[in-house]
Amino acid sequence: MAYSDKVLDHYNHPRNVGSMDKNDSHVGTGMVGAPECGDVMKLQIKVNPETGIIDDAKFKTFGCGSAIASSSLATEWLKGKTVDEALAIKNTDIVNELALPPVKIHCSVLAEDAIKAAITDYKVKQGADVSALVQAH
Amino acid sequence: MSHSPSDYFAVFGIDRSLALNLPELQRQFYVLSKQFHPDRFARASAAEQQRALDFTSQLNDAWRILRDPISRAEYLLKLQGMEPGDSRTNPPPPELLEEVFDLNMALEELRSGDTHARDQILGALNRFLALRDQLDQDRDALFVRYDANRDAATLQDLRGLLNRRRYIENLVRDAQQALS
Repeated sequence: MAYSDKVLDHYNHPRNVGSMDKNDSHVGTGMVGAPECGDVMKLQIKVNPETGIIDDAKFKTFGCGSAIASSSLATEWLKGKTVDEALAIKNTDIVNELALPPVKIHCSVLAEDAIKAAITDYKVKQGADVSALVQAH
Repeated sequence: MSHSPSDYFAVFGIDRSLALNLPELQRQFYVLSKQFHPDRFARASAAEQQRALDFTSQLNDAWRILRDPISRAEYLLKLQGMEPGDSRTNPPPPELLEEVFDLNMALEELRSGDTHARDQILGALNRFLALRDQLDQDRDALFVRYDANRDAATLQDLRGLLNRRRYIENLVRDAQQALS
């Protein structure tokens, strides 16, 4: 099966590979995996507390070319979006952009799950922060 | 054999059940193998010869699938119309994913020449082996539960367990390959 040019581009030049401090209260971390293929994907966002905009996004994926490309593309799209805008990213957007074949659609699902998991983690942290502030008063 | 058995359990004349007595199954395999050995049908009609041959080949398949608890469980799930299921219906627990991620990081470090990663991989391998043992014990308990209740809920649990085990199995293989 041949990879599309866009997949190859992301695979050969992945954007935003790396990691951020998962204990930072403005960082949300999503860790997802697919047992059937052994892929595991970590995706992190850093949200600017003043603007609510995602300033930075990083990922590290162990998996096939499509999984790496899907998460690489996801981090590109996340930067500059608000958290709510980020939640609107659908796996089908990734499928279309990368021209993923049907057998690789699960890679895009994984990337969408990773985005949602990262945002959930961030929101939980913000909730925890708020309750800590309330207790302090 | 007036008609061919409908599934591998029927080949052995047993119900669709999971907690099988393996020595007994093996004994039955030898008995049936002997009984339907093509040599015993050398003077039978062509149709009977063919039936004996078909049954023997089905018997071999049945024995191969049923003697292994994992393939037996996967086979029964399929018979009951339950597909393996994807990660959405059976998401791996987060702490397992953390372990998987760390193992992959260590494997990458080892590949790039960092020999310190070996200890980390060895530690991970031992944890995964212990986890696999635990899953096998849980599996045997589910086998007994299913045979007693014949319920879909137990099959769901079993499917989830098999997915996790497959995941662990891949990790064990990767870690062992890296260390060999």
